[in-house]
Amino acid sequence: MSANIYQPDLMEVIQVRQQTADVKSVRIAFRDPEQARAFSFRVGQFGIFSAFGAGESTFNICSSSDWTDFIEFCFRRTGRVTEALWNAEEGDTIGFRGPYGNGYPLEKWKGKNLIFVGGGIAMPPIRCAIWYALENREQFGDVTIVYGARTVGDLVFANELDRWAEFEGVRVVRCVDPGGETPDWKGEIGFVPTVVERANISGENAVALVVGPPIMIQFTLPVLAKIGLPDASIYTSLENRMKCGVGKCGRCNCGPVYVCKEGPVFTLEELKRMPKDY
Amino acid sequence: MSELLSGTAIRPWIERLLADGKRVAGPQRVHEDLVQYAWLTSADQLALDGFVRPSNSIKEVVFPRHEQLYGYQFKGKRIELLPAELPTKEQIVIGARPCDAAALPALDGVFNWDTQDEFYNRRRELTTVVTLACGAYDAHCFCTSVGLGPGDVRGSDALLIAVDDENYEVRCLTDKGRRLFAGVTTESSAVGRVMEGPPVQFDLDKLGAFLAGGYDNPAWQAAAMRCLGCAACAYTCPTCHCFDIVDEGGPSGGTRVRNWDACQFSMFTAHASGHNPRGNQGQRQRQRIYHKFQIYPEKFGALLCTGCGNCTRNCPAGLGVLPILKTIAPTP
Repeated sequence: MSANIYQPDLMEVIQVRQQTADVKSVRIAFRDPEQARAFSFRVGQFGIFSAFGAGESTFNICSSSDWTDFIEFCFRRTGRVTEALWNAEEGDTIGFRGPYGNGYPLEKWKGKNLIFVGGGIAMPPIRCAIWYALENREQFGDVTIVYGARTVGDLVFANELDRWAEFEGVRVVRCVDPGGETPDWKGEIGFVPTVVERANISGENAVALVVGPPIMIQFTLPVLAKIGLPDASIYTSLENRMKCGVGKCGRCNCGPVYVCKEGPVFTLEELKRMPKDY
Repeated sequence: MSELLSGTAIRPWIERLLADGKRVAGPQRVHEDLVQYAWLTSADQLALDGFVRPSNSIKEVVFPRHEQLYGYQFKGKRIELLPAELPTKEQIVIGARPCDAAALPALDGVFNWDTQDEFYNRRRELTTVVTLACGAYDAHCFCTSVGLGPGDVRGSDALLIAVDDENYEVRCLTDKGRRLFAGVTTESSAVGRVMEGPPVQFDLDKLGAFLAGGYDNPAWQAAAMRCLGCAACAYTCPTCHCFDIVDEGGPSGGTRVRNWDACQFSMFTAHASGHNPRGNQGQRQRQRIYHKFQIYPEKFGALLCTGCGNCTRNCPAGLGVLPILKTIAPTP
């Protein structure tokens, strides 16, 4: 390990999957077996990924923490760094530093029914927790997944939705915004908050993880309150811009709370005490 | 008895330091009415009086505005990382103002909580700070409002106090300071006197109370009406330390560098989606004041402002910490 806290580990791209017209997921593995052995993380943590020559970007690690052969991240092609990552092919080298942040409090979630609500590109930070929960099925109660996107073509990890639905005690509700459906679309049509409400989910003994655009979160929260979830049982993962990941570069804070250190995972109860700098 | 640094001894001493391969920084008159801290190549460049304070700060000595974190070379599909060369040269700041020196302990906290920044720490270890007690203040100075003063020794390894137009009393405060001045000073009965600072211009208790409930106060938008978002305040501030990390390179390789950045820039917190948590200048001004007077103090137990006044002195619109705090937390 270098003493240089900004120096990334070198990773080999081992798989690239195009998820939508502008979203890809990439699996990477440590080039150095020593680093691979020493590495572990908690689902919900994030990393800083780099395309050498273009720069660094912050993404959630969207693979399960139980998978040890690779880690995975997912991004939308939207700027200089993601454009370079978009062009990465198997065998290429990219940089990774992390894991950073707090991750999901899985200990607290044990024995609970899990409600996952996601919108669009926000599926990756939910997907890691879903896989973890499904592969440790005995530790958790029923699992409900509501996932929506603007159009059918914008659903990320769409093929995995079918696999999740095959697990016992797992319900998957798919939806697209009105007008985003295709003729053969069999899922729901409507905005995520409405679909969550229509889905008649029980809030009993449950925790919810809600990640998505601010507008989706804003309108989903009252629905979750209505089914009886207290603020302390509703979690989200913030997406504040970061550069260092280690509490120094000065941009991810919401008042006194540094999202890179104390987050990115917060309960609604915690969010309500924080300045709205997210 | 005191230690005296005679006016005639200063230049030969600095020339000796430079000849020994040490980096020496100090105030330089770079233009008729512009004094800046800069690396000296000759002792004649040092300007110790005739101005209130340099328009920049000494943070550059420990936290350069542009710094290589590591390099990389493309080797086919592989990458070779090239560790950055850490500095090895001793560096000495001569004629720092107390409001500059006091910023260093504040920065120590940021660069060392939780994880250690070896770039900052290496430079900090190599640096000796010789502070000159102030001989003048202007309308922008407010050190006394934040618990400092013209002779404060926080962050200094030695303090110089003018005895007369030529000579300085030297008070060595640390081993670094004592080593630097060994054999340079003479014993004397002359002592320097530290001047009184500017009057206190805002009330810290009142400010604390305002910040506790003032997040949504319209004062932030009002304060930002004239702000151009140029961040001259942050760049010339001794304690502002935000940075960006970017790549500079070409087809065969490059370097990853960090550059100063500032919370006053509109893109500073902008998300890739276009959403921006601090989307207007009022929110950005608010962040700067909260960081200095509430967020940092809660974490590190000290203010992130030394009252140097550079933010206002360098602001094209006359804004900065003092004008805002005088409005929201006036003294009785």
